[in-house]
Amino acid sequence: MAGAAPAQAAVADAASARPAATRRERQPWPAIVGFLLPAFTVYTAFTAYPVVRTLWNSVHSVLPRNEKFVGLANYAALAGDELFWRSVKNTFVWACVSPLTEVSIAMLLALALYAKIPGRRFFRIAWFTPVLMSYVVVGIIWVWIYNYDWGAANAILRALGLARFAQAWIGDPAIALPSLILITTWMWTGFNMVVLLAALHSLPSEVIEAAELDNCGWAAKLWHVVIPMVLPTLLNLVVLSFIGKMKIFDLVWITTKGGPLWSTETVSTYTYKRAFEWSTFDLGYPSTIAAVWFVFVLAAVLALTWAFRRRDRLEY
Amino acid sequence: MISRAFLLVVVVAYTAFAAGPFLWVATMSLRTTSEIALDHYAWPGTLHWEKFPQAWFNSNYSVYFENSLLVVAASVVVLTVVGAMAAHCFARYRFRTNRLLYFVIFSAIIFPPQITIIALFQILVQYGLYNSLVGLSLVYIAVQLPLTVYILESFFARIPADLFDAARIDGYSEWQIFWKVSLPIAMPAIATTVILNTILLWNEFLYAVVLITDEAKRTLPLGIQRFMGDQLEDVGMIATGLMIAIVPVVVMYVFFSEKLIQGMTAGAVK
Amino acid sequence: MRMLRVVVSVVLLAFASAAVGQVKLTLWSHWAAEKIKRDFVEDAIKRFEAANPGVKIEASWYEKTALYAALKTALRAGTAPDLFYAEPDQVEYMENNLLLDLSPLNWSAIEPWAKEIWSYKGKPYGLPLEASTVEVYYNKKLMSDLGITVPPTLQLDAATVADLARRARAKGITPMALGVGDRPFPGAYLTHEALLKKLGVKDYDNLLKGKLAWTDARVVDALRQVRAWTDAGLLPTTFTTLKLGEAHTYFHTNPGAVMFLNGSWYTSRAFNPPDKGGQPANFPLGVMKFPAIAGAACNECRTMSVQGSYVANAATKHPKEAIAFLNSFARPDVANRWLENVLVQTGIKADYAKVGGPHAAYFRELGATSEGARFYFGMPNQVMEGKPKEVFTQVFNNAFPAGSIGVDDAVKQMNAAFGK
Repeated sequence: MAGAAPAQAAVADAASARPAATRRERQPWPAIVGFLLPAFTVYTAFTAYPVVRTLWNSVHSVLPRNEKFVGLANYAALAGDELFWRSVKNTFVWACVSPLTEVSIAMLLALALYAKIPGRRFFRIAWFTPVLMSYVVVGIIWVWIYNYDWGAANAILRALGLARFAQAWIGDPAIALPSLILITTWMWTGFNMVVLLAALHSLPSEVIEAAELDNCGWAAKLWHVVIPMVLPTLLNLVVLSFIGKMKIFDLVWITTKGGPLWSTETVSTYTYKRAFEWSTFDLGYPSTIAAVWFVFVLAAVLALTWAFRRRDRLEY
Repeated sequence: MISRAFLLVVVVAYTAFAAGPFLWVATMSLRTTSEIALDHYAWPGTLHWEKFPQAWFNSNYSVYFENSLLVVAASVVVLTVVGAMAAHCFARYRFRTNRLLYFVIFSAIIFPPQITIIALFQILVQYGLYNSLVGLSLVYIAVQLPLTVYILESFFARIPADLFDAARIDGYSEWQIFWKVSLPIAMPAIATTVILNTILLWNEFLYAVVLITDEAKRTLPLGIQRFMGDQLEDVGMIATGLMIAIVPVVVMYVFFSEKLIQGMTAGAVK
Repeated sequence: MRMLRVVVSVVLLAFASAAVGQVKLTLWSHWAAEKIKRDFVEDAIKRFEAANPGVKIEASWYEKTALYAALKTALRAGTAPDLFYAEPDQVEYMENNLLLDLSPLNWSAIEPWAKEIWSYKGKPYGLPLEASTVEVYYNKKLMSDLGITVPPTLQLDAATVADLARRARAKGITPMALGVGDRPFPGAYLTHEALLKKLGVKDYDNLLKGKLAWTDARVVDALRQVRAWTDAGLLPTTFTTLKLGEAHTYFHTNPGAVMFLNGSWYTSRAFNPPDKGGQPANFPLGVMKFPAIAGAACNECRTMSVQGSYVANAATKHPKEAIAFLNSFARPDVANRWLENVLVQTGIKADYAKVGGPHAAYFRELGATSEGARFYFGMPNQVMEGKPKEVFTQVFNNAFPAGSIGVDDAVKQMNAAFGK
């Protein structure tokens, strides 16, 4: 049958859904170019070229109508810039701690919902809402919550008779960063929970019966059975969360602007300040910060994916 | 049974934690600042609905809202079309540089914004696109392109190839195949990317704060932030403004919660 | 025929006025929310336009941070206005040759120290419209309720202030309103005025420029005094998040504080109508000097600085008209008008004896605090640059007054910032 071979190839295609390697047709180059051109034009103009330009800036001092090549002077200055290293430390701390809190609490909540608590549809929807809000909105609300005199945090503590624990949450350098980490945890736990719940639902049911929380020994079952099975999703969420925190700007800008005493200064706020708020027009130095940070982020993501190398390519 | 009750307690406590702040802002949005100053947690005595039109007209919220609407609508439309075209191409055609080019676009997802933002600032200033909604839209399209292409590509790739073969035999041109075969089938994925991009761009702040300084061109997040810098902290008015920003998202959520959740978690489930 | 003549005359007139030149200047300014100053400048614009037909000035009003952001980009892009608001700490404008040399102004009508503040490499670049000192405003009634009398010298001593703080706290009143939620300088007032008095003008200048070590015994002493005040509960608990505008209302309206440490431009907000953030009618306002420090070199020393000024864009197409406009301010009657209406000092020479107006009494009280004073010209954030400025702001504006950092730590950080 003449159609058998192509039909088999088509079946194989349907399975892999990619054009077969043995297709002998001419690739419709005009169409390919046509499809890719708009995307690549935008990409080149507004993503690729800016990256190159930033690297260019980083070896120049970029003043209005006066660009001067300065070689590696900016990089040398960066190496000795404690404010930069402080911001790197803060950002890394945030990016490492936040995923742990967000994902672990989310896992417990997902299991709780999975255990068929009444009203779980409502809870699922309610817990997802913080993710939809702009960081600006979230920041303003939490500045009010953290207000020393009338904010909800201290009000609740005082109502519970724990007034001596009332703090200036974002005014004290020692606890400002943890306070902000709490905010991002509040925001993203719901998101992680929804994803994990979906992952749990996609597992074979015999395994899940064993994991329902109202059985005894659920802790052991959780650790040895459930977690390994949702591990890919868990790791995925950790990586997503990590990357998100490495980029964080809006929340810090609205709440503490990097203070007090640089305890919440992140690389993004420091770059912004050096570019637009310090008494200089020079864009070279902040570009250097951006370039070095770019390398750090890439390295960190590569390290994470290598550590989680269950998968063979960077997918999330 | 005990453990189930305990779970319920935990769950309710967490719900209070997650939803409490919004409830607080909602009640504050209907009270005047002096009422709030007396007691920050009381339920509104009289519901001051007039604060909403006040915020809208007197505090320029209508301008911010309109700007956000224009920028987000334009960006999402162009982004979806351009992204779908690229995704379709990556998924359906085999050519040597396919995976390489895909990786080039896809890898931009992890770029931290700082690596592009300073240069984008320079570029937009140079070409007169600074402080313009057009400039901001172009940047937004570029920013969300990698994620859009990623989500759509994996969906397009799952469409069975014989549909395309049939279309080709019927004499459809490549473009018609895209427009009449790929797109309609991919509608669910397109819908999720549209929702995802809308929410992300509606809330976007960093690029907006760098690239827009003109009061008349501010988007909603910038507009809300501006209130924080004003002379008196008019808590009541700020709360009303926050509600105006939150309400569209909540409305979308009420009608499309499933789609929305799917959209925002797309690609995260393994 | 007549129609033709009319048309021809109209056309000729149009050409004539085009030839004479409707010059249009653009001006961007801060003070969008400060009605008194805004009114003053708009009035000055009207007077100038009346005296100079053919020149029109279009003013746009901004809030300060928005203005600075807009200017930074506009200057880079070459789309900046002809005239704009600036403060002397913005040396980056002069370093990058963005400002017009204002030597042609009538400098004999302007205070020499104000010209000095705006000089860069020997040339002046700004019209020093607004000047100010740091004052302690106080509520006369609350002060007497606490049993504290302000002596005729208008200066309390350090111990009395600590005592005042304790008495006020005992009554549940905040002794001094102050907030650094949205500005990088108010918290630092407390420290730098104390340091200035302790060290005297010369050594204070050395300190700010990194030539005197911050670990100097006198510096540490002065800082310990300030710490003693904050430990006694001088500042509000919301100090770190309280905004400038809110600090005003905190002092004069709700919840009310005994004192308010602020620049003498206090009146720009406080003398607005109460529903626009101004102080209540009949508020018992008093002004006094910053407290005396024990063992001070110069208790009569105080800071005078230039704040709001106007500069001209080096790339302006109408430099003559721009300079003419700025020159229209350099007259004693303008200075007096400023003093009478805005009630803040000015860098333009004024005839203080002739200052009248409805607030003349307040103005005389303000003048009394500067009697016999020796001035240091310039705020720390105008004198310092780069890393030391950033560290100074974070440490002495925010953390030190808030009590988050100790004296020894603070001076160590400052020394480190100067590379010692």
